[in-house]
Amino acid sequence: MRLTKILLLPLLTLALISCDNGNDDNTEIDAPATYEFTRNGESTVSFTGQTTRIQMASELISAMMDFDNSTEELLLEMYRNETASGGDANPFENPALNEATKNIKGKVAASTYYFSSNTQLSAEIKNQFEAWISAQIDEVFPNENTLAESGQPGQIADGSSTRYVNAKGFEYNQLVGKSLIGALMADQMLNNYLSTTVLDAGTNREDNNNGTLAEGSNYTNMEHKWDEAYGYLFGTATDLANPMPTLGQDDDFLNKYLGRVDGDDDFAGIAQETFDAFKLGRAAIEAGAYDVRDEQAQIIRENISIVIAVRAVYYLESGKNGLEESSPDYGAVFHDLSEAYGFLYSLQFTRVPGSDSPYLSTEEINGMLAQLEAGNGLWDIEPSVLGEMSETIAAQFEFTIEQAAN
Amino acid sequence: MKKFVVLIVTVFIVWSCTDNGPSGPSPDDFDREAILVNWADNIIIPAFTHFSETTAQLHTSAQNFSAEHTQQNLDVLRDSWKSAYLAYQHVSMFEMGEAMQLRYRDNLNIYPTDTSEIEDNIAEGNYNLELPSLNNSQGFPALDYLLYGLGENDSEIMANYTSNSGAENYRTYLTDLTQRIDDLTTQVLESWTSGYRDEFVSNSGNGSNSSLDMMVNDYIYYYEKHLRAGKIGIPAGVFSGTPLSSHVEAYYSQGFSKALFNQALTASINFFNGTHFEAEVDGQSLDDYLDYLNTMKDGADLTSLINNQFQEARTEAENLNADFAAQVENDNSQMLSTYDELQRNVVYMKVDMLQALNINVDYVDADGD
Repeated sequence: MRLTKILLLPLLTLALISCDNGNDDNTEIDAPATYEFTRNGESTVSFTGQTTRIQMASELISAMMDFDNSTEELLLEMYRNETASGGDANPFENPALNEATKNIKGKVAASTYYFSSNTQLSAEIKNQFEAWISAQIDEVFPNENTLAESGQPGQIADGSSTRYVNAKGFEYNQLVGKSLIGALMADQMLNNYLSTTVLDAGTNREDNNNGTLAEGSNYTNMEHKWDEAYGYLFGTATDLANPMPTLGQDDDFLNKYLGRVDGDDDFAGIAQETFDAFKLGRAAIEAGAYDVRDEQAQIIRENISIVIAVRAVYYLESGKNGLEESSPDYGAVFHDLSEAYGFLYSLQFTRVPGSDSPYLSTEEINGMLAQLEAGNGLWDIEPSVLGEMSETIAAQFEFTIEQAAN
Repeated sequence: MKKFVVLIVTVFIVWSCTDNGPSGPSPDDFDREAILVNWADNIIIPAFTHFSETTAQLHTSAQNFSAEHTQQNLDVLRDSWKSAYLAYQHVSMFEMGEAMQLRYRDNLNIYPTDTSEIEDNIAEGNYNLELPSLNNSQGFPALDYLLYGLGENDSEIMANYTSNSGAENYRTYLTDLTQRIDDLTTQVLESWTSGYRDEFVSNSGNGSNSSLDMMVNDYIYYYEKHLRAGKIGIPAGVFSGTPLSSHVEAYYSQGFSKALFNQALTASINFFNGTHFEAEVDGQSLDDYLDYLNTMKDGADLTSLINNQFQEARTEAENLNADFAAQVENDNSQMLSTYDELQRNVVYMKVDMLQALNINVDYVDADGD
């Protein structure tokens, strides 16, 4: 309660500053109540490719736990949406996904801003996901009915749930699922579609100013790029234009965790602020107010980065507290730390507003991941090491460990 | 503007610091060890001792039935199962020490049981009952299915153990389950009688790792999750929105769920009041601790409020069908009103009692992912 009051101070200051900026701006932009934009009576909003990829990722994550039916070939086909030899594949249950020409892998670590001239790292990250997928089949599946212990993959109880871990205690399905939040969703959103290099590519500005539409479409290229960013957050919402009522329930990726962080009193309002920034930025594009557009992009970058960082700290602290119990529930701890691993991994795709870089560099992240994996991995990890990681992360943000952990 | 905000913040901080401290007796002065001794020596160890006798009898009855598979031996086995299941209601809340390590309750009483997994285990043979993934195909609920759920009538059920192909596998699975219940129970009881009792009693301070804090948390957790939710709320659809009659305890025996509930409620009342196991002797417990602190809520004595509320729940439940599944299907509103009465005591105990005793809740609802 007291913290909230103290937080008000910078917020108020911020509000005053942003009011000043508003006065300098001549354009008044009215954002609509929902994410609905039209031209000649027809919607101009489109992000089907993003919806498709979220759905593909959901099927992949469930299939990683389908011991009876999944094979390495099937899972890799789901990741690539093509066969090993590059042919057409139909790995999905949802026939629409099999028809789609999109795939997950192509958009992993693939943003223009971070990776267009860093293809070596991009390839490493893309392959890391394949390595986790293959290891699930090679290491965990054969040990479905073995009790896990240090150095031995198998199953372990987490309360009344059963978790399936590798020899170091990690759940590969969590590594893949939580790492995709950064490597696919956040990277595409923050470092690709919201970048001026993408929004203003080619003749986008001129076309947008003149109302020149993309070929065969009812939108300008710039409008579409902005929508694609929106789609990685709200692309599977029950009501695509009005996603707030079902926030957190529409996927197991960014939408879910924006909902989780918004549900923490210390961060309440972050979801509405993000949604509002998307609406206002889109309205600004229609109005040709590119400064306003870019201000909204910075808000989104900051908020999405905060979501990833808060969840990383949250799970690190849950794991730490669990290990400090007199008789630790290792299954629960390993589950938390497997999620923490994925959110840590995702942090390298965050973006400090107004800068060129993530909140923590790939080198820093890799250093922390190596600590988690050292020796027998989670079977050996010291609570103090987890606490240090939380501190390292929180130091880059304006929240405290306590705010993130509760 | 900034100064004004700082002023507000300062005022707020000062205001929140001048909390009206409670007057009267302090929780620190109470003899907590007397409660721990009463719980261990007059409730927990006698209840586990009695329960282990019934699990030994259950295993013996299963072995007899397996050796000589007659209807009469099936009836005896069913009686042994009922006696043991009732006795279990008096130990289920004590998930601490060895029981916590073993995840005792998850091994003995997860329902609904997974009947297809049970059938797979029986057909394939090489199962490892220690695997967490097999928790829901063993224990009392699995026995409920094996003793009552394998056919429409007794002769169909008997056929699975006698004439059908694979009958031997059924008999083996049955005795493997009763053996495991008995073994786990022996382990927990022996831990209490060979050292853990003294450790438990001597850890009589306050703070989150003290025996009293942990036991009270385990007790309220049990009351909230296993009694209120598991036995009543979940089958009544409180959490799902849709009633789930097949989620009642002892579903296949059709008519035993209410008896189990009543036993569990009695055990909960006795624990709160320190009533000795199977003896009408009143010992030290939470009621005495609250009385010592003169704990009042809205002008009423909290101990009386809690005990009256237990009786309200008991009275409401008297109207229920002996088979909760039938009750859910025929008139679920009675289940819901029983749930409401049970829920009122969650508030009295988890909020008011814990506040008075200065105990923090050490569990939260799972993240769910």
